[in-house]
Amino acid sequence: MRPVGFSTSPNLVLRLPMWRSRMMLFLLFFVFMLLLIRAFWIQGPGNAFYEAKGVRGTQRELELPASRGKILDRNGQVIATSLEAKSVIAYNDTVPDDLSAEKVKSLANLLQMSESELRKKLKEERKQIFLKRQVDPEVAQKIKQLEIPGIGLNNEYRRFYPEGEAMAHVVGFTNVEDRGQEGMELSREKELAGHPGQRRVVVDRLGRVVEEMAILQLPQNGKDLNLSIDSKIQFLAYNAVKNAVEQHHAKAGGAVVLDTQTGEILALANYPSYNPNDRKYLTGEQLRNRVLTDSFEPGSTMKPFTVSLALEKGQVQPNTQMVIGAKYLIGPKPITDTHPYGVLTVAQIIQKSSNIGTAKLAMNTSPQEMWDLYTAAGFGQAPKIGFPGAVSGTLHPYKKWVPSDQARIAFGYGVSTSLFQLARAYTIFARDGELVPLTIERSPEFKPGTSVISAKTAIEMRGMLETVTEPGGTAIKAQAEGFRVGGKTGTAHKLVGKGYGNKYRAYFAGLAPISAPRIVVAVMIDEPTGGSHYGGDVAAPVFSTIVSETLHTLNVLPDAKVKQMVLQDKTPEEIRTANVQTQHVVLKR
Amino acid sequence: MNRATLTLLTLLLICALSLVAAQQRARKLFLAQERAQIEERKLNQEWLRLEYEQRNLSKSARIRDVARNQLHMSPISPERTLYLREVK
Repeated sequence: MRPVGFSTSPNLVLRLPMWRSRMMLFLLFFVFMLLLIRAFWIQGPGNAFYEAKGVRGTQRELELPASRGKILDRNGQVIATSLEAKSVIAYNDTVPDDLSAEKVKSLANLLQMSESELRKKLKEERKQIFLKRQVDPEVAQKIKQLEIPGIGLNNEYRRFYPEGEAMAHVVGFTNVEDRGQEGMELSREKELAGHPGQRRVVVDRLGRVVEEMAILQLPQNGKDLNLSIDSKIQFLAYNAVKNAVEQHHAKAGGAVVLDTQTGEILALANYPSYNPNDRKYLTGEQLRNRVLTDSFEPGSTMKPFTVSLALEKGQVQPNTQMVIGAKYLIGPKPITDTHPYGVLTVAQIIQKSSNIGTAKLAMNTSPQEMWDLYTAAGFGQAPKIGFPGAVSGTLHPYKKWVPSDQARIAFGYGVSTSLFQLARAYTIFARDGELVPLTIERSPEFKPGTSVISAKTAIEMRGMLETVTEPGGTAIKAQAEGFRVGGKTGTAHKLVGKGYGNKYRAYFAGLAPISAPRIVVAVMIDEPTGGSHYGGDVAAPVFSTIVSETLHTLNVLPDAKVKQMVLQDKTPEEIRTANVQTQHVVLKR
Repeated sequence: MNRATLTLLTLLLICALSLVAAQQRARKLFLAQERAQIEERKLNQEWLRLEYEQRNLSKSARIRDVARNQLHMSPISPERTLYLREVK
C-alpha cells in the first residue's frame, strides 16, 4: 500500500456541509452591506447632522457690538454718553469650593460687597449669576488678574450723564440693559438704541478667530441726538430755581426758557432733581418732570390772554378807564382784589393784577370767543414735543361754563395748565401774535407760527407786561440788569381736597428783551413758605436771574440804559486790536 | 512621460505651492485685520472716555466753581461790558 501523507489521508478529510460556507459568505456580505448602507447614510441623507457637529467645533457666531447714540446739547456738548463697562458673572459649578479666603476677600472688595454676601451668591443653585453689573473697566481688569476659575467678564455699556442733576429731567436715564426709561432716553429710544450685529467665524483649537465666514447682520450704532437745550442756560436756570426753592422753603420749582424765534426749548429745569448717574436715586417723587407733567391753575398769569381778547375785539384800548370797585358779585362768592381799586385803566389792570377788572372785561366777551382764544394759545392741549407724560391741562368746553365760571377762568381759576403750556402760550406776545411751534431737538432756523391775535394787540400787551416790572407793578423784582423785560405774576391758591387751603403756587411768565423779544421764560415755585408767597416776590427774582444770564449767554444787545455802556461800530480787525480793559461782547448782525 | 506632461506637472506643483502660500498670507492678513479692528474699537472707546472726561472737566458747575473760588472772577454785567458791533 502506498503510504499516505497525513494531510492527504482520505480518512481525515472532513466533508463540511455546503450550507455552512454559504452561510458564512452571506453573513460577510450582509455585514458589508450594513457598512455600506451606514456609509451611504453618513455621506448622504444623514450628512447634515455630522456637518453641523463639525461646524460646531470650528465655527462660532460672534456678536458685533453696537453702541447707543449720544445725546448732545445745541452746542455739541455731551449730555449722555455710553462707555464700555463689564458685568461680572460667576459660573457656580466651575468656581472651586475651596477658594482661598484671601481671594474671596479681594474679590468682595473689588465688587464692593461683603464677604458673606459674596459667599452666599457663590453657593446659589443657579448655574450662572451676575455678581455685579456695569463695573468700571479698571476694576474689571483687577478682577481678571485675580484669575479665579469660573468668574467671567461680559461686555456691556454704561450710560454717563456729565451734567447730572441739572439736566436729569430732560435726558432721563436708561436701565441696566441700556434701554431708555425716562425723558429723552425713553421717547427717542428707537433712534438712540444700537442694534448689535452677528458674524460667523472659524476658530482654531484655542478658540482664536482664524477666518470670517460671513457677516450675518451688520451692527447698527444708535444715532446721536441733538437737543435744543443749552447746557449753560439749563444749568443757570436749574440753579436759579434750586436757590429759590431753598430760600423760600418751597416744595418744588420749575422753569422753562424758550427761544421765541426758533421755537427751541433752551432750558427745562425742575427741582427737586436726582443724579441719573447713581441708580439708587432713580425712584420716587424727584423723577417727576413737573414742568410738563403737573398741571395747575395758572391764576393771574392767565389775565393777559383775557385782556388781549378785549383789546382784539376793539372793546377797549390800553388807556380805557374802568370802574373796578371793591367787590364784583357774580356766582356764589364775590370776586375781590388784594387791594381795592377805584378806577384803573386796562393797562393798569394788568400792571396791578386786578381780578375784578379782568373778570369785568371777560364778561363783555362771549364764552365761545374766550374758549377759542385760549385753545388757540394751546390751553387744554398737550404739547407735541415727544416728551413722555406731557399733560394737556383742562379747559372745559365753553357750553358747560356758567357766568361765574367764565369770570373766574378769566383770571386763571377753574382752568389748568402745565408750566410748559403757559410758556408756550406767552410766545404769542413775543412773536407779534403768533404761537410758535416748539421743539426739543436742535433746529436753529426761524419758524413761522400760527396767528392767534393781531400784531397790534401783541405789541400793546408787551407794553402792558413791561409796566408789571416797573414801579407800581406787581413784579419790580423781575427787572433784569441791562434789559427791558415784561411779564405777569401769578399767585394761585392750591386746591387742597375740595377747597382752597393756605397753600400757594407762585408764578412768573414773561419775555425779554421787550424791544425785540428773544426769549420767553416761565417760572413756578410750589408751596413757598416762610415770608411772602407772591409770584412777584418768589418767582420774579428767578425770572430776573434767568433772563439776564441767558441773554448774556446768547449775546443779545441790552436794550435798557445802563451806566457806562458803550456801543461802537467796529470792523472785525478793529475789534481784535481794540485796546480796552472792559469785557468785549461782539454782536453778530 | 513626454515633455508636455512634465511641464504640466511642474505647473501643477507650482500652483499647489502658491495656493498654500496664498492661504497662509490670507490668514495672516485676516489676523492683522482682526487685531486692527480690536484696536479700532479700543481707540474708539478711549476717545469716548476722553470726550466724557473733558466734558466732566468743562461742565458748567465746575467752571463756575473754579472761576469764583480759584480765579476770583465775578459774573459779567452789562454795566462793565463794552458792546462792539461787527461791521463788514
